[in-house]
Amino acid sequence: MTAYFLRRFLLIIPTFIGITLIVFVILQIVPGGPLEQELLKLRMGGQTGSGEVSSSGGNNITGIEIPESALIEMKKFYGFDLPIHLRYVRWMGNLLKLDLGRSYVYAEPVLDVIVERFPVSIYFGLIGFTLTYLICVPLGVAKAVKNGSKFDLASSITVFMGYSTPGWAFGAIMLVLFGGGSFWDVFPLGGFRSEDWDTFTALGKIWDQVQHTILPVAGYMVGSFATLTILTKNSVIENLSQDYIRTAFAKGLSEKRVIFKHALRNSLIPIATGLGHFFSLVLAGSFLIEKVFNINGMGLLGFTSIQSRDYPVTMGILVLSSLLLLIGNIISDILYATIDPRIRFK
Amino acid sequence: MTENKKEILSENEDNKQKISVSIFRKRWRKFRSLKRGYYSFLIMSFLFVISFILPVFVNHTALVVKYNGSYYFPVFKSGIYEAKVFAQVRDGETNYRQLKEQFKGDNSDNWVLMPPYPYGPNENLLDEMAGSPPHPPSIGHIFGTDDRARDVFSRLLYGFNISISFAIVVTFLAYLFGVTIGATLGFFSGKVDILGQRIIEIWATLPFLYVIIIVNSILQPNFFLLVIILTAFTWEGITYYVRGEFYREKARDYVSAAVSLGAKNRTIIFKHILPNSLTPIISFAPFAIVANISSLVALDFLGFGLPPPTPSWGQLISQGMNNIEKWWLVAAPLSAMFLTLIAIVFIGEAIREAFDPKVYSRLR
Repeated sequence: MTAYFLRRFLLIIPTFIGITLIVFVILQIVPGGPLEQELLKLRMGGQTGSGEVSSSGGNNITGIEIPESALIEMKKFYGFDLPIHLRYVRWMGNLLKLDLGRSYVYAEPVLDVIVERFPVSIYFGLIGFTLTYLICVPLGVAKAVKNGSKFDLASSITVFMGYSTPGWAFGAIMLVLFGGGSFWDVFPLGGFRSEDWDTFTALGKIWDQVQHTILPVAGYMVGSFATLTILTKNSVIENLSQDYIRTAFAKGLSEKRVIFKHALRNSLIPIATGLGHFFSLVLAGSFLIEKVFNINGMGLLGFTSIQSRDYPVTMGILVLSSLLLLIGNIISDILYATIDPRIRFK
Repeated sequence: MTENKKEILSENEDNKQKISVSIFRKRWRKFRSLKRGYYSFLIMSFLFVISFILPVFVNHTALVVKYNGSYYFPVFKSGIYEAKVFAQVRDGETNYRQLKEQFKGDNSDNWVLMPPYPYGPNENLLDEMAGSPPHPPSIGHIFGTDDRARDVFSRLLYGFNISISFAIVVTFLAYLFGVTIGATLGFFSGKVDILGQRIIEIWATLPFLYVIIIVNSILQPNFFLLVIILTAFTWEGITYYVRGEFYREKARDYVSAAVSLGAKNRTIIFKHILPNSLTPIISFAPFAIVANISSLVALDFLGFGLPPPTPSWGQLISQGMNNIEKWWLVAAPLSAMFLTLIAIVFIGEAIREAFDPKVYSRLR
């Protein structure tokens, strides 16, 4: 089994190269990249915003001429001075030295820019993740045990509604209702905490933080509420129809003991393996929710980096999130094999 | 002898037909018995079909105009009637609502028949409404107007047609590729499978919304380009199920029989195995449609979806989020999306129940 997982880890390499290659090539070959944006800005006398989309090539723009030497200089700065395959090799070489380049926008190393956003994403991600599991797993178990009851049917409606509402959409409607627009002013409009947070008293700080937390976390939870609850429910139901449960009942155990001691432990196996994606979910955040609530986490950073053509940051976030996902997949399988001795990978 | 053989063959053919029809009937009957899903299906199909002739119901163009003894049918005309055709003092297209009022005052036998909801999705109502847009809901405009004074209700309905059509086309194309590739991998297995699995893993790990935003930020896609982009990054989802089904079915006797009869690979894949592996494909389709609608709304919300002035739900939401007091710009499209998605989820649940019933016997 060790050999199997070793092989799996080695297989990360080609997959990772594939992913980065695809996005790298897309970013490099399409028109309107950072170099063209910059040239356009210079030629137009700095009037075009960097976020504007421009599909015009670099050659047909007339106006101020840019000297050849400056052009070469700029090409070098934006890394367009080599043929594309060599550019990728250079990028990969730098990556192996843990050098993701410098952000065009922040003028800082990309790694620093990304790591700066970690605390915010981890804060929301961790709370959302924990609460989701704390609510969905017991709910799923209860639904399975009382399958077909009124409670089951009533909570099924909530599950259906949760499935039909993307988390960010739920956040948006909550903001409209409680964000102090035309209705109630209960919660702030977003952000991590208030701007004058430092001046608050200790209690005020906590209250402010809580107020800024509730709606985004609710958004995170709605996103995975339905799937996790149903997964738990189906898993428990499936286990309750197994022969070993029949045996447990036959030897005279109480229903409580059968369900919680025997069925539950086996039912939680598929749910526990989901924990493998813990880091991926917690670190990478959701850029839709971060966008709705204007939370300055990793997701929003990725989104703004695309808008402002900050390619080193865009690539950096891709590297990080895909590595987390790939490693998370393997951790899930390791967890699976560890928890369930019936599973043997070869 | 040959006669006999033929008879047996035809009898087999009949049997096959009977069995497949009866399985389908059984599932259909089961589906119909699940009221929630069945009625959602009826309502959604009806609304979707109706939404293709939406200009007859919701439009700023008149259905019929009787003017000086002759009849005009502006909705059915491919171009527009200029205002001067009806002696209206105005540049460009006729304003039929004004024309209607004008004819009423005239006391002539000229008349205008407007659609029941007489506002178009892309029509700027700035000169007709007091105050600055977006206007809050009122009797004439039940969901108000957006920041360019366009009627929100009208945009919602046209957005419904676009969202569903988009999702169905993307789902269909993604299935076409996904099923073909999954079937190929599952059927041929071996080296093809290993190589294909690696490529699929790359695709599955790509954060697809992120990549689509990258592509869209540069290309500014139209409807068909967006369909292609979304298809290109979502086809891999179904391959797992199809591949698994093919691995299982391939070992069955009827496949060996087909192979020993000398059937071509293509025939075996599409004629023999595929019809037997349709269950996961069909029961996942509604959920794929739900996912694709959500993706479209999210992309439009982020500003990387369909180009303006396409009526879109996500674009309305993003307007509303920029100005949180204009609650109708968020509430109306989100309710529309919610109702649409929940109806499709109901359909999906019923289809899954009908095609893939899981019956668990439980003690106590």
